[in-house]
Amino acid sequence: MEYFATELLTLLFAALRSATPVLAVVLGEAMTQRSGVINLGVEGQMLLGAMTGFAVASVTGDPWLGVMAACFAGIALSMVHAILVLGCGANQIASGVAVLILGGGLSAYYGTPFVGDKIDTLGNLNHTFVSDIPLLGQFLGPITPTVLITLLAIPAISIFLFRTRTGLRWRSTGESQDITRNLGHNPVHYQLAAIAFGGLMSGFAGAALAVDYTANWVEGMTAGRGLVAVGLVIVARWNPWYALPAALLFGASEALNLKLQSWGVNISPYLLATLPYMIPLSVLMLSYRGLRASGGGMPAGLSVVFQSAR
Amino acid sequence: MTNATQLPVTLGLRLLRGPAGAVLVMATIFVVATLAFFAINGREAVSLFQEMVMGAFGDSYSFSETLVKTAPILLTALAVALPARLGLISVGGEGQLYLGALFGTGAVLAAVDQPGWILMPLMLAGAMAGGALWGVIPGLLKTRLGVNETISTLLLNYVGILLVSFVVHGPWKNPNSLGWPATIEFPAGAIMPQFFDTRVHMGLVFGIVAAIILHILVTRSRWGLGLQVSRSNPRVGATAGISYERNVLIVMAVGGLLAGLAGIAEASVIQNRLQDGLASGYGMTGFLVAWLAGQHFLRIIPLSVLMGGLLASADSLQLYAQLPKASADILQALLFIIVLAVASLWGRRRDI
Repeated sequence: MEYFATELLTLLFAALRSATPVLAVVLGEAMTQRSGVINLGVEGQMLLGAMTGFAVASVTGDPWLGVMAACFAGIALSMVHAILVLGCGANQIASGVAVLILGGGLSAYYGTPFVGDKIDTLGNLNHTFVSDIPLLGQFLGPITPTVLITLLAIPAISIFLFRTRTGLRWRSTGESQDITRNLGHNPVHYQLAAIAFGGLMSGFAGAALAVDYTANWVEGMTAGRGLVAVGLVIVARWNPWYALPAALLFGASEALNLKLQSWGVNISPYLLATLPYMIPLSVLMLSYRGLRASGGGMPAGLSVVFQSAR
Repeated sequence: MTNATQLPVTLGLRLLRGPAGAVLVMATIFVVATLAFFAINGREAVSLFQEMVMGAFGDSYSFSETLVKTAPILLTALAVALPARLGLISVGGEGQLYLGALFGTGAVLAAVDQPGWILMPLMLAGAMAGGALWGVIPGLLKTRLGVNETISTLLLNYVGILLVSFVVHGPWKNPNSLGWPATIEFPAGAIMPQFFDTRVHMGLVFGIVAAIILHILVTRSRWGLGLQVSRSNPRVGATAGISYERNVLIVMAVGGLLAGLAGIAEASVIQNRLQDGLASGYGMTGFLVAWLAGQHFLRIIPLSVLMGGLLASADSLQLYAQLPKASADILQALLFIIVLAVASLWGRRRDI
């Protein structure tokens, strides 16, 4: 029983750590979509953030500088989406794919010299008071700063979105741009901020992956995490609190994948590696069923993009 | 005051205000952006650009390599453009390509001792079935559950690639390949026909024929008209007996089938076997080409040749000028961004 509980808690905390980059993207993308804009480019922004963060950490020797640089890289790339969508009125999906390809290309091009570099990590909670907590200490110890920052972002975003005037206008922009306009505000400003925030979070997510979680840079290392996150936003019903369990789905399937391999389960690692895509996709199916029945909180401005020709 | 010399000028100006002008602006900005990208990275911009054009269209060998790349781009672009006729945004070309290669290879391995006239049709049928399957799944998710096809196709791409990795590392791995993850070499009967002693293969013909047939079907047939009605208003379509759901499945299946052919052509002709990294990125390039062409089947053909040229020259420049492979991705993305921006602004200006 105790063995079982330990294994389960180990798995849960492993899931939390591997879920963190995805969680950050889900939070950012949920905020973007709340303003009525969808951005598939988060995958590319995440890659550029990961590469930039790792490169800066490697050159300066300061991983925190790397995290900051990653955030800026994410914002910078997201501005391409902002210019195309808000400035030119281009199709949001197509623009997102353009940003996705650009981010992948730029990170591969400029990241090559840094492949195999060693960087200092951000550290973790081991050797602090937390790791001395009885029973739970061994699980809380390996938690790293990006996990904590991302978790803290949940209540912060929630308070902003649901308890402030700006948050109200942010949400109303996603429901109907006319409402925001009638209130005397420019909806485009909110959407610009929303895309930039999505850029910030996806850049940060890249750093959480490359600088913190793996301390490594490999071309294309996000492997669809950003795209999984875009799907999970729907599972999370655009709600920052539900983003955590949604992202944990990805984390748990990845942790389970690694765990099953370490147990020597006789299944090909390549089949197991499909779990982090198949499980979120399966939950997405269930979630859509609920969405169809109830409307499920999809920002009205999004349904135009999401349910084309339906 | 009109005279004979003014007429061509006014006609020219009128033409420039239309699509021709937009294309000219796009091309100019793209060339400038490419030169700037080279210059920023400390390269001899102009000479590198010349080499790039030569590497794509300079001699018969370069051009044949361009056409080799054209085939999968053309087929995967059709796999995007056909669903787009129904308002669907599928990004699943990559996964469908891999599934086509997977099922086609499965057919080859199952009938490896058969003569070519049995083996070849079996292989192509397998490839089409595999690609179609990877199109129908997101189609079903869309019609049955309402799952957004963009997200499901994107996620299924990764699954498709992993499934190919699974078989080439596992059950289908050639025991004599000394640890290299790949299937056995395809027998001669399973190598698709090629032309003029080059690697240009039947896949290109399939693509061109499919583009023409699709164009005719969509613009001239009842079914094509039905797609238009379904797209603009599924309910009106339903009263006229046109099932939106069935059309979703048809366009996704046919699109997938075409991408599947691209996959088996890569395995059969280019690699002679199924292995990892079969065709990374063709699906995305196909998506891009479909959008550049405005989802127009016939325009996709020349644009696929152009984009094939970009990829082929990037390959040769990687060898001769140490230009990183990723530059092809960056240039593709720049082109896409420029075209999206100019086309959107142009369309908007004309509305006013």
